[in-house]
Order: sequence, then C-alpha cells, then structure tokens
Amino acid sequence: MIAALFFYLFSAVLIASAFLVITSRNPVHSVLFLILAFFNAAGLFLLLGAEFLAMLLVVVYVGAVAVLFLFVVMMLDVDFAEFKQGFMRYLPVGGAIGAIVLLELVLVVGGWRVDAASLANVASPAPPAMSNTLALGRVLYTQYAYLFIAAGMVLLTAMIGAIILTLHHKVGIKRQDVAAQNARTPKDAVELRKKSFRQGV
Amino acid sequence: MTPLSLALAHSLPEVILAVGVLGLVLYGALRGKASDGPVTEIAVGLLGAAILVILLGFKEQAILFDGAVIDDGFGRFMKVLALIGSLTALVMGQDFLARERIDKFEFPILVLLATLGMMVLISAQNLISMYLGLELMSLALYVVAAFNRDDLRASEAGLKYFVLGALSSGMLLYGASLIYGFAGTVDFAGIAAATQGHVSIGIIFGLVFLMTGLAFKMSAVPFHMWTPDVYEGAPTPVTAFFGSAVKMAAVAITVRVLMTAFPGAEAQWRQIIVFISILSMALGAFAAIGQTNIKRLMAYSAIGHVGFALVGLAAGTQEGVFGVMVYMAIYLVMTLGSFAAILSMRVAGHAVEQISDLSGLAKNNPLMAFFFAMLMFSLAGIPPLAGFFAKWYVFNAAIQAHLYPLAVIGVLSSAVAAYYYLRVVKIMYFDEAAPAFDPPTPALRVVLAITSLFVLFLFAYPALFIDATATAAKSLF
Amino acid sequence: MYAAILFLPLIGFLIAGPFGRQLGARPSELVTTSLLFVAALLSWIAFANVALGEEPGSVALLGEWFSSGALRAEWTVRVDSLTAVMLVVVTTVSALVHLYSIGYMSDDPSRPRFFSYLSLFTFAMLALVTADNLLQMFFGWEGVGLASYLLIGFWYQKPSANAAAIKAFVVNRVGDFGFLLGIFMVFVLTRSINFEQIFAAAPGLANTTIHVFGAEWDAMTITCLLLFMGAMGKSAQFLLHTWLPDAMEGPTPVSALIHAATMVTAGVFMVARLSPLFEQAPHALSFVIFIGATTAFFAATVGLVQNDIKRVIAYSTCSQLGYMFVALGVGGYSIGIFHLFTHAFFKALLFLGAGSVIVAMHHEQDMRNMGGLWRKIPFTFAMMTIGTLALTGFPYTSGYFSKDAIIEAAYASHRPMAFYGYLMTVIAAALTSFYSWRLVFLTFFGKAQWADEGHGAAAHSVGAAAVAGHAPDAHAADAHDDHGHHGPLNPHEAPIVMLIPLAVLAVGALFAGLIFHSDFIGEGFNEFWKGSLFLGPDNHILHEMEEIPHLAALMPTIMMVAGFLIALYMYILAPATPARLAAAMPALYRFLLNKWYFDELYDKIFVRPAFWLGNLFWRGGDGAIIDRLGPDGVAARVVDVTGRVVRLQSGYIYHYAFAMLIGLAAIITWYIVGGVR
Repeated sequence: MIAALFFYLFSAVLIASAFLVITSRNPVHSVLFLILAFFNAAGLFLLLGAEFLAMLLVVVYVGAVAVLFLFVVMMLDVDFAEFKQGFMRYLPVGGAIGAIVLLELVLVVGGWRVDAASLANVASPAPPAMSNTLALGRVLYTQYAYLFIAAGMVLLTAMIGAIILTLHHKVGIKRQDVAAQNARTPKDAVELRKKSFRQGV
Repeated sequence: MTPLSLALAHSLPEVILAVGVLGLVLYGALRGKASDGPVTEIAVGLLGAAILVILLGFKEQAILFDGAVIDDGFGRFMKVLALIGSLTALVMGQDFLARERIDKFEFPILVLLATLGMMVLISAQNLISMYLGLELMSLALYVVAAFNRDDLRASEAGLKYFVLGALSSGMLLYGASLIYGFAGTVDFAGIAAATQGHVSIGIIFGLVFLMTGLAFKMSAVPFHMWTPDVYEGAPTPVTAFFGSAVKMAAVAITVRVLMTAFPGAEAQWRQIIVFISILSMALGAFAAIGQTNIKRLMAYSAIGHVGFALVGLAAGTQEGVFGVMVYMAIYLVMTLGSFAAILSMRVAGHAVEQISDLSGLAKNNPLMAFFFAMLMFSLAGIPPLAGFFAKWYVFNAAIQAHLYPLAVIGVLSSAVAAYYYLRVVKIMYFDEAAPAFDPPTPALRVVLAITSLFVLFLFAYPALFIDATATAAKSLF
Repeated sequence: MYAAILFLPLIGFLIAGPFGRQLGARPSELVTTSLLFVAALLSWIAFANVALGEEPGSVALLGEWFSSGALRAEWTVRVDSLTAVMLVVVTTVSALVHLYSIGYMSDDPSRPRFFSYLSLFTFAMLALVTADNLLQMFFGWEGVGLASYLLIGFWYQKPSANAAAIKAFVVNRVGDFGFLLGIFMVFVLTRSINFEQIFAAAPGLANTTIHVFGAEWDAMTITCLLLFMGAMGKSAQFLLHTWLPDAMEGPTPVSALIHAATMVTAGVFMVARLSPLFEQAPHALSFVIFIGATTAFFAATVGLVQNDIKRVIAYSTCSQLGYMFVALGVGGYSIGIFHLFTHAFFKALLFLGAGSVIVAMHHEQDMRNMGGLWRKIPFTFAMMTIGTLALTGFPYTSGYFSKDAIIEAAYASHRPMAFYGYLMTVIAAALTSFYSWRLVFLTFFGKAQWADEGHGAAAHSVGAAAVAGHAPDAHAADAHDDHGHHGPLNPHEAPIVMLIPLAVLAVGALFAGLIFHSDFIGEGFNEFWKGSLFLGPDNHILHEMEEIPHLAALMPTIMMVAGFLIALYMYILAPATPARLAAAMPALYRFLLNKWYFDELYDKIFVRPAFWLGNLFWRGGDGAIIDRLGPDGVAARVVDVTGRVVRLQSGYIYHYAFAMLIGLAAIITWYIVGGVR
C-alpha cells in the first residue's frame, strides 16, 4: 500500500518535471527540473529493489552529468527564446501526433499482462540473498563481458569524437608545459648580476 | 577449446580491429603530429587482415558469448562487404583528406571504430549487442560526418545527423524495451519463440519502433530526411563510407532481426517493409531528378536502392534474402565505383561536385567517362550489367512471394530512376566540354576500373559470386 | 589442350584488339597468326587422337555459366569426331587465311583491327563447334555473326560495305530468331539444353504433338524446322541467301575464311550435331532436301552470268552449301560433313586464288576486264585450276568423292523430295562445271582486256553502264584502292606469304577426298565417327548409295564434262556466243543476272512496307499519340512531382524529425486501425 502510494507519487512528479524540463523558459530551471526527474527515477528504482541502479543514477547523472549541464548552460549565454520561436507554430501538428501516439501506446500498454512464459525467459534472474551490486558484478564481467567491452568502445569513440570536434590547437597561446617546468633549474631561470649600489639598473 | 577461447577465435576479426584501434590511438596520441602519417595505411592493413581472417576462417555456425553474438555465413558475407566498403573508402579518401587538410590520424581510427560497430551489429544475436553495435557505429559516424569542422556544411551535416540519429536511437531503444517487456527476453531466438503463433500488439509496437530506428540507418523513407543533407555536407570520402559500408551493416541487421527474431510476425513486418520500400523507391526515383549536386543525387539514389533491396526482404523467403544480399553486394561495388569517379572530380586542385562539371568528360577523359557511364547504367539496372541482376533477383523473389504490386511499382520506379542516371551519361557524352579534371590518383583509378569491370563482366561468370551468396543466405534459415 | 585450341585465338584477339594500335601492325599480325598456327597444330593432333585414333570423345567442363530453374548453362569443350573435323577445318583455314592476309592486307592502315577481328571470329567459331549445349552454340553462333558483320563492314568508309554488313546482320537475324525459337522448343520438350540429355530424350519425343494456333503439330517437326531456319540464315540457303553475295564487300581473305570455309557451314554443322533430333523428324528432313536442292540449282544458275569474280565464287558457295543440305536431308550426315570438309579446302583455295588475281589486277574484280592472265601469274593460275577441278568433281580430286557421294545418296534415298534433290544436284553439277570453267577462261585465257585500256574509274563506269543498271560490285574496291598506280597495268604474282596458303590448300583440295573418304563415308564410318553422328535404325543410306545403277552414279561426271565442253566452246572457241545468247533470250539473261530478282522482291515485300509502317508509327503513332499522351505528358508530371518532393527537403531539423514521427505514427495507426492481421 505504501509502496503503491510512493510509486504514484514518484511517477507523477517524474512526469511533471519531465514536462517542465521542456516547457520552462529559463534553461537553468530546465536543468533543475531534470535533476528532480532523475531523483524521482531513482526513487522508482528503489521501489523495484534496484538500489545499485538508484544510487548510480544519483551519483552519475545528478552528481556529474546534470551539474555539468548546469555549468554549460550558465557559462554559455544561449538565447533559448530564439530556439523556441517555432514552438508555437508547430505545436498543433506536433501535439496531434504526440497525442495520437500516446493514445495508441496507452491502448497497447493497457493490455499488458506479464505472463509466466515471459518471466521464464529472463536471462539472469537476480539470485536471492545476494545484494544488487554483487549480482550485477557477477554477470557483468562474465556473461556480459563482450557487451561490457563494446560499451567501453562506445565511450572511447565518444571521447575521441569530443576531442576531435572541439579541441583547437590555437597558435600564439602560451600553454602550460609541465615537463618543461619540472626540468627547469634555478640556473636556467635565475640570473644573478652584480650591481653597484645606489645606481639604476 | 574453452567457450571463451572459441568465442575469441570466432570473433578474431573484431578482436583485430579493437586491439588495432587501441594501438593506433596510443600511437597517434604519442606521435603528436597533425597529419595522419602511416595510420591510414595501418588501418587499411587491419581491415584487410580482418577480411582475410573471415575468408579463411571458420565455416560453421556458432553462437558465442552467452548468446550475444552469432558467427554465421550471412554475417560473414555481410561483414566482408562492410569491410570492403570501409577499406575502399579509406584508400580512396586519403588523398582527398590530405588536400582538404583534414587528414588527422583520428579519421582512420574513427572509421575503424565505426567498422567495429558494424561488425558487432551484423553479428548481433540479442537486442543489447545490436544496440551497442549500432551506437558504436553511429557515434563514430556522427563525428566523421562533421570531420571537417571548419566547414559550415560539414558541421551542419554532422549536427543534423547527430540530432536525428539520437532521436532514432531513442525510438529503437523504446522499441527494444517494449519487445523486452512483452517477450521477456532480449535474445533473438527467445523473441522468435515468444512470437510463435500469437503475436501480441505490444510486440508489434516494439517492432515498429525498432524498425524506425533501423530504417533511419538504412535511410529508408520516411526516415531518410537526413540523407541528402549529410551526403552533400560531409567530406566526400565520408559520403562514400556512408553509402557503402554503413548501408551494408544497416541492411544486414534489419534482415537478421526480422528473419531470426520475428519469423512469427512475418505477416506484420512485411506490411512495414512494403510500405517503406514503396515510399523509398518512389521518392528515390522522383526527388533525384531535380538535383544538380552529384553527391545529393547519390543520396537519393541510395534511398531508391534501399527501397529495391527491401523488395527482396519483403518476400521474406530464402530467395528474398538471397536477393537482398546479391543486391547489397552489387550495390556496394557500384557505389564505391561511383564515388571513385566523384572523388576524381577535381579541377585545378579544387574538388567540384556539380553534375554540370561532368560536361564533356567523354572528350577530356574518355576512359573515365566510359567507366562512370557503365556504373550509371548499372545503377539504372540496364542489362547485362550487374545492376540488372541485382534488381532481377529481388523482383524475382517478390514475384515468387506473390507480391505483384510491389514488383510492378519497383519496375516502374526503376524506369523513372533510369532518367537521372542516363542524364549523367548524357551530360558526360553530349554536352559542351567543361574544364578538364586533374588526373585522378592511382587509388581512384584502380577502384574505378575494378568496379566498372566487375559490373560489366559479372554476367559472363556469375556462378562463383552467386553460389557464395546463396550459401551465405542459407545460414539464416 | 582442347581448351588451348579454343582460347588461343581469343588471346590473339585480346592482344591485337585493344592493344593493336600500341603494338603496331606487324607484331599484331605475328602474334595472331602464330597463335592460330599453334591452335591448328593442336587441332590436327586432336583430330589424329579422337577421330583417327582410339581416344574417346570427351566433354570438358570449363565452368558453370548460370542456372535458372531447370535451365543450366555451362561453358564446355566437347570434343568428339565431329568436333575434331570442324576444329581441323576451322583452325587450318583460319591459320592459312591469317598468313595470307599478311600479304593481302599489307597496305591497309588498320591491320591490327583486321587481325583481331579474324581471331575473334575464330574463337567464336570454335566456341560454336565445341559447344555441349545449345546456349553455348548460340553464343558462338551470334559471335561469328558479329565477327562477320564487323569484317564485312571492315572498310566502313564505303557505304556499300556498310549496307552489306547490315544486310548480312539483318538477314541472319531472321534465321537466328528461328534458331532461338527452336532452342526454346527443345527446352520445353526436354527441360534441358545439354546435348546429352536432349539426345537421350529425343527418341521418346518422336510422335509427341504440341497444340499451337488451334491445331496439333508434330513437335519434333516444328522444332527441327525452327532449328533449320537458323541454319538457313547462317548457311545462306534459298530465301535467306541474299546476304552472302553482298558479303563479298569484305576483304577477300574474309570471304575465304568466313563466307566459304567456316561460318556459312555452321548451319550444316548444327544439323549434323543435332542429327538425333532431325532423325526423329522425317518431314523436316524432306524440307531440308527441298531447300538444299533448290539452293544448289538456283545459286548455280545465277552464278552462270555474274561478272564479278568473287560473286561467282560466292554463288558457287551458296550452291555447294545446298549440296551439303541435300546430303543431310537424305540422312547422310557424314556425307554432308565430308563435303563440308573438302569444300573448305577447295573453296578457300578458290577465294584466296581470286584474291591473288585481284591483287595482281590492282583490285579489279570484274572478269570482263581480265583475260590472258595465265602467262603473268602462272602459279595462281595453276592453283585456281586445281580448285576448279576439285569443285567440279574431276575424278579423284576431293570434290569428286564428296559431291558424287551426295548425288548418289540423293538417288538412293527413299525420302520424299529425294529424287527432286537428285535431279537438281545433277543439273547443278553441270552448271557448276560451266560457271567454274567460265571463270577460269575469262580470267586467265582469251584476250587481255586490261592491256589496252587504262585502269581507273572510267573503266568501271563503262562496265557498270554495260550491265543495264546493275553492277554495284564493280566499284567494290574503289574506296580501298589507295595504292595509286597510273599508266599501264602490269599484273604481277602475289608475295610469297600469299602463295604458301594457296599451295597448302591445293594439296588439301587434291588429296583430302582420296585420303579420308573411306573414313568419313566408307568402311571406316563407325570407327571414325564413334557415334557422334546419329543414324536412325532404318537409315542405311551409306550402304544403299553403293548399290545404285551405274549410269546414275556416272551422271555427275558426265555433267561435269558437258559443262566443261560448253564453257570451252563459248569462251575459248567461239567467244561471241555468250553475247548472242544473251541477246536471244534477254528476259532469261536479266532474270539470272538480277539473281532471280530476290533483292527487288524483298525490297518490295519487306523493306519498303517496313519503312512505311515504321514511318507511320513513328510520325503518327509515336509522335502524335504516344509521345504527347505518354512520355512527354508523364515527364511533365514527373517534374511536377519532383518539385513537390524536393520542397519537402527544407533543411530544418525539426521538419526532418517531424517526418520521422509522422511516419512512425502512420505505421502505428495502421496497425491500430487495421488490427493485427
């Protein structure tokens, strides 16, 4: 009963905040609503007993990704009003399509019955008396090693892509060269000169 | 052999690419120079090695890594095609990139990563490996599309492709989760078992969303909108890569998903395939007519050809799959050849890409004009060139599956499409000569000659090619 | 080795064709010619092994071509006795012609092209004779047709050569159409195009019928008639013969190789190869006799009055091909092939000899402008005489054995039309003798017509005017005649490379019959052919022809002598006779001179109505109706549609995303509304 109550609470807030992410005029508000949405999603995970995923969501998405977003949004002065110019123009069409798809999905998902046959298909059922983290760890590096490595390659690609598209080697800029700094000795850097007293340099 | 070592042995081509990529990243980063140096050559070597390993390696079928991967004849065939596409695109593009001063070492690395994604994608045996393969491929593609980041059109192309690709990935994931929800498994074989007999509407919905994501990658109508802009905006070698290898992987995974995961829902997905196939063929035929940019023309041509290939898939039979494979193989050759010609379009050191720049090519460079004309004729499907056989096999399969309207529409739209291919030939042969092109590089010459001779003479001895394809097609059934 | 025979000429073509210009003329000649000589040597070895020796026939599979349903086509080299004979004929004559052409074409600027075409032709012909299925045979069949077209039109600057090439191509197309239909029929009846399967199935099809146009037809008769139609086209038989005389526009070596020795005999070869089918269709065989006999007679009559030296020989070829078909028709396949074999030697000899004469006369082809040449070119004269002796069937020359055998077989046969065949061939024998000797007498004896008049365009136009509106051939060599020679003409013997082939062929023309006749058609029949020719159980023609009355067997020789005597009288003893005869029977003379008015007839029946119909459809049907309502209208609509479609491509991401979403929604709605079916 309590679980059901919290489920509906989390879900309602999640949907509402997701909606506000799109509609709010201030981008900073959008990101804040996004963070709220993440928290609620984490709550839903908790209700399902997936505490590891819930924590992951909070730590990674809220702690890292969303905060990064916030920085970016605040640092770049993006004029979101310009972006949203066409919004009202296309609202009727977009709204209609969205409504149709939504209606149809409701029709479909409404008739969803989780039958026994489907449950029997589950690839790695969570073993009883084992923590979430342990269960994930057991299969992640064994059964799903291939997929794990593939995911690693995806991240590597993203990294390379980000670097190649954004890193500019501008000429005429002084950069910090740690090796050069460490290699410096007082002899290279400092020069002592005898100067006679009370005279200009 | 232990399961792991067997699995690694079966995925040796993937291992070669993955390890090679890591090595090249290290090498490139430590080397620290702007130009690509020998990285392209090494990447080509890696791709060639992967092709050799596939050709000489295992012949039997195996399911590996706890059902995430399958190594079968179909996969090997399509992988070889994709690898050939990547390899040729790299070889052809080197000179172009160097002239545009974007020959950074990351380019071959990203192409390798995309190819690795294709391999994962082609041999995917569950929804997760499929998604990971797709993302690996797509991410690398987004970047290479915008690789010339100082060029406005290229950046725009990359951004468009990225945004729309993200949308399509979202749809695909949504579909995958619907399917998982209703079937209770992500495994293709498991899904096939769950859809045997009764197919619930939920799975159909999931299938529709999934197909949306895949159709986007194949650039089938109405999920094609990115194609002309990206083809035009991206650097030409990248466009060649998009047109060749990427198409192979996208079509391969579509065939595999539909044939192995949803044989029970054939009646349902056939409707989708027929729908997008007809739209693609028609749009590819009509929209290309008004184009003045040769790369944009090739984009619409690609859309049309995907429509033709899907005709074979719509049949849903072994002949159909065979037809699709023949089609894709021949399409690969024709595309690579055409792009070799397009890459050769360079006046006084500057790349040109208007169709009118081809004017009078027959006088300036008769051999190149002849080869390009043969490729155009083949793309139009004129017998006895290879493109005719490609179309013949897919239409034949459709006829045998009693999809008469589809076959008729296909033939009609290929008649319309012939117009713009022939227009290119007409411009080359009958129009006033434009300034002559610079002599093409040896790599382009070789690719152009080999591909044209292939389409010219396939009819004389098709048995070897056809038999290999037929054997590979059998493995899906 | 067999594959080498087949592919050596192709290699020659591939070297001399694309790279001839870079190589230069001389290396191209040497490469193609020497490759051909190797092929000829190998062919003789094959002949010795397979036909004369004990080695069994073989079918080597070079590779699969394609398969589609029940239709399986392969690239093969089938070598049995029949093929071996053809291999020898084709490669030997081809090699000699290559050699000869080095001399004959020595002043032509595009020799590499010529030699590459010759080699291409040889390859196609070999593919034809080594075929083990109908499709490969058809490949070779079309290949030789193509090469023939290219070679007839070799001097493409000449409109007449172009016209002749097109004519040859089109007339052959009529025959090929029949051949194709025949192949289709065979496939329908036997579900195969491979010879083994077809031949195995043939006896079972003897009385099957097919239902076409509301009537029942004997399937084998229809099939064989269709196949024979192809043979008629290729072998220039009556009704489809008109292209062969015009084909003399090509260089003379081409005439010798293609239009005398090899390609035109493809029809004969095809009927012999398919003898298991024809044996099941007696009505078709009767028709073969009828056509063959008619051709033999008809072509011989036309040959009587022709003035162009090559045309006379061309009609003679036509006539001799008729003989071969008569032999095939009465069931004597080996006799037909035997005549093909010997004919190849003496007809090639005659053509090459004629070429030698033409060279000596500086490309003069009208016999009325020759005369008295035997003193000037004695070697050529001797060779031509040997060829003529063999052609007319002088005892113990090769023509004697093969031609007389045909006439005897025609007499002995009990098939309907066989006696007609006998009658026609006997008469034609006399005519053959007459026109052959007429050729020799006009060319080599009598007054030297070239001595007192300058050689040039004036002479041609005089000649043309003399023959009331018909002598286009007199101009045959004008365009080519580029090694200018002014002043009086001095005929001279041809260079040695042209004389060697003559000598070799002369040996064949004299002795081929004597050496091989027992193998081909005598006691050695079974050991020689080893079953590669099929004879029905009641086909005893070879035996029966030995037992005909003595007088009937002697008839051809009598006729030969008669023809010789008449020619001797008319052209040597009383040279005024021909003109008087022509004046006495002007209608008959013109009828013969104009080749029975076939060209005019076809022009009226086919060519003009076709043009008229074409014009009607073009201007009225296509231009006014179809173009306006069809392509032009459709094209305009297409452009409209294109404009609209292109406008969809706005360049805005959200438009694109919308398109995707609309597509998705449309598909989903389709399922919701229509339900899952």
